[in-house]
Order: sequence, then C-alpha cells, then structure tokens
Amino acid sequence: MHKQNMILRHKLFDRICHWFVVAVGLVTFLTGFGFFFPSFQWLGAIAGTPQMARFVHPIAGLMMCLPLMLILVRYYHHNKWEKNDLKWMFAIKDVMFENEDKIPPIGHYNPGQKVLFRTFVVTSVVLTVTGIMMWQPYFAPYFASSTIEWAILLHAVCAVIMLIFVIVHFWMATWVEGSVAGMLYGSVSRAWCKKHHPNMLNDPKLKTIKQEKH
Amino acid sequence: MSAQDIILSSGTSKLAPAAQVRKKLSKVAKLFDATKCNGCKACQVSCSEWNDLRAPIGEFTGSYQNPADLSSECWTLMKFNEVTDEKDKLRWQFTHTACMHCDDPACLTACSTKDAIVKHANGIVDFDSDKCIGCGYCVTACPFDVPKLDTVDQKAYKCTMCSDRLQVGQEPSCVKSCTTGALKFGTREDMLFIADLRIKQLHEKGFTKAGLYNPQGVGGTGMMMILHDIDDPQSYGLPADPKTSLPIKLWQDVVKPLGAAGIMATVAVACLHRITVGRNLVEEDEPAAFDHSHPSKSDKE
Repeated sequence: MHKQNMILRHKLFDRICHWFVVAVGLVTFLTGFGFFFPSFQWLGAIAGTPQMARFVHPIAGLMMCLPLMLILVRYYHHNKWEKNDLKWMFAIKDVMFENEDKIPPIGHYNPGQKVLFRTFVVTSVVLTVTGIMMWQPYFAPYFASSTIEWAILLHAVCAVIMLIFVIVHFWMATWVEGSVAGMLYGSVSRAWCKKHHPNMLNDPKLKTIKQEKH
Repeated sequence: MSAQDIILSSGTSKLAPAAQVRKKLSKVAKLFDATKCNGCKACQVSCSEWNDLRAPIGEFTGSYQNPADLSSECWTLMKFNEVTDEKDKLRWQFTHTACMHCDDPACLTACSTKDAIVKHANGIVDFDSDKCIGCGYCVTACPFDVPKLDTVDQKAYKCTMCSDRLQVGQEPSCVKSCTTGALKFGTREDMLFIADLRIKQLHEKGFTKAGLYNPQGVGGTGMMMILHDIDDPQSYGLPADPKTSLPIKLWQDVVKPLGAAGIMATVAVACLHRITVGRNLVEEDEPAAFDHSHPSKSDKE
C-alpha cells in the first residue's frame, strides 16, 4: 500500500470562490464583449436577448468582481514581493522554455503570478467603480455625461487588460499540469511543489494531506 | 424607409459599411429662425400630437418652459432662455430644441448595438427602438443632450424629424404648424441659401452679430439655426463647439483596434508556446494517488 503525500494549495472556500468567479465571469465577458464589439453581439445571446444582456451584464459583473476581490484579499499574503522575484523576472525566458536548472527558486506564487494578482486588483476595482457609474438607469443619472464618457473608456480599457490576463492565466494553468487539478481538488503533489514552487515547502504552515491508495 | 437608404449604421465600421449607393441623395434640413420665433409652442404641441407623446405633468419651476427638459415623451421643446441685456432688461431667447441630426452623429459613434442608430441618405439620424438595448451611451455622447432614456421600457428616444412624414413627401409636423414662419424645411442646400439671405437682411436691419448655427465639429447639422448673436450660442442653451468627445474617439478608434490586436496576439503566443514548448509535466517521486497501473508484487501480501 502506497501513501501519497499531497500538499494543500487551495482551501475549499477559495476553490468555490474561484470557480464561481469563472462561471459568472464567463457571462460577464461574453455579454460585455458584445457591447465592445457590436459585430459580436451574438456572444451576448448567452443572456437570451441583447436587452437581457444589457440587464444581466452589470449584475454578473458585480457577482464576478466582489468574490474576486475577496479571493485577492485572502491571497494577499502569498503575493508580497520577495527578494528572489527580480532574479526570476530576468530569468523569464528560462521559465517559458523550461530550462529548470536556471530558474531561481520561488515560493507559493511566482512573480508572474504576482503581476497577475496586481492586475486583477486594479482592474476589478476600476471595473466595479466605472461600471456602477455607467449603470443605467440606476446610477448613471447621478453622474455628468462627460464623467460617464471617461468611465466608459476606462471600463473598456480595464476589461481588455483583464481579458488578456485571464487568457494568460488560462494558458499558464493548463500548461503547468497539475495546477488545474490543484484548483479543482485543492492539493498538489510534493514533486509538483519542488518543481514549480520549491520555497513553498519551507512554509511552516504547510499542510499535508495523507491519501491512502488501495 | 428602405434599407438602401441607411448609409451609416451603429456598430459597423468602414471595413463593412452600410449601403452606400444612395449616398448622393440630397440632404434635407430644418431651418429654425430664432429671430422670427415668438415662443408659441405650436411646434412642441404638434410634435406631441403627431408622435402620440404625452409627457407627465411636471411642476412649476419659475419658467414658462414646460416641461423642464426633453424626455422620452417630449421630443421637441420650446426653450425659454432668459437673457438680461446691457440695460438690465429681461428678454426671452427662444430655442426650438430637438435633435440636430448631425452629419457626424456622436450618438451613432458611441452606440453599443449594431443598427440601433442609423443615418439615412437624406441625413436624418434615427433610432431603431426594437434594437435599442438601453445602455445609455447615446445619452451621454450627444453634445446637445438630446436623446433620453424612457423609465419604463429603458430605450432611448428622440426626434425622428418625422421620418414617417418625410417618407410620403410631407414636411415635419413642427414645421407644418409653425405660426410665424420661423421653421422651414427643405434640402440643406436650399436652407443654406435662405439662411444666407435672411442673415444679410438681419445685418441690414442692425443685427450685426446675427449668423447661422451649423456647427462643423459635428460635420454640420440637419437642423440649422439663425441666431441674433452667433458669437454667444450658449445663451440659447447651445454648445459653442459641439463634437464627438475625446473619450469616445479614443474608445472607438484606439482601444477597440488595439484591444482586438492585443487579445489575438496573446492567444497566438499562447498557442505557439503550447505547440513549441509542449506540456509541462511533473515526474512524480512518489506514485500518484490516482495511479491505476498494476500494483507491483511487493504490494501484495
């Protein structure tokens, strides 16, 4: 009988939050993409009609941004800058081409993920604030037209940036195999940690889950 | 009007434009002569009659202007601008307020929905309520503050220049009912000619500042106005230099193409990376919990 020691990477609450954000985020981005590129209005058909897409988009957007902000608050302690981060950044080419002996060891999150974290912090806050400002008919009437026009512009810019980072997030998660399983079931193997986030193993709070194989 | 009459449509670009064959049809215009208007509100009433609009009764706010502003149920409004002259004497400056039917309409540029705002070959800018989704982008984009969202159906409305009447060869209802001849309707060319004559006449009569309000920032308008003082359109509640605002231009002309390029480039790099570098697999130092391979002999007791 083998014992496989798995390491806890994402708690149940965070995993539920993450997949909830994925689900409502999909609705938000499909409907929003239809407003940004009117030729792609059919993407918003996920909401039923274009009028329903307009109604659903801000609600789905809030349902995406608020839990996302909660995750970001809960993961802040993993995302502080550390001394090896700059070295890792300079070795980005080796990271992408898997020259593993040349990659400086990093902890729970690598600097690329920390950049993604910061982008999500900024874009989720800006998207929420500007989104509320342009939300017809509830909040937009309280703002001047010239203010709303800038809000619309900022909203679009942040949405595009967020989408690009979501694509990068998806790309990296599916490339580094074991990551998606980690976010789905919560745990990763010791070897996975050693390969991708070696300093994570030095964490005194590290939680190992013992699984029995029959 | 037939689909071939639509020469500009929201949500489309020059890459795939609306029908262009009738582009050379002569453009129409309404000419409002503020120097002839006596504020009788016939235009406002006939607009509400013809279009079957009944704005809710408002409250008295110290002005003859009623209702206070344009709304989804008030597409033409007689504005009573109160102006005090050098001798401290009060006078009214009337503005026939309705859609200006810009040649380069900011509402159409800002619209989030394909074909919801169209410009016809005759220059008329029209909203398609069936397609309107109520995002309100046209409301904020219009430099004249004309389109308004309805509180019940959440769609944007404004003056159609009675496009249904024009279709059968009639003039807009406001022009039909004007009591003083302050409103005229015809081709833009004719209206410019008439305006020119009238302004010359006004200059001779001593109104040296009189001029035509046909702002070029929006490419000229389908409603032109003769004002007593062309240097001070603000006193008529009109913007001095109306145009499509900077954020809308940046949004449409910069963010959209750059965004599209950025998104596609990211996807392309991701795909290339995946194909060239391949999978990033971990060699497990312990057999995985989900390992379904045959157990070795030592496992059997």
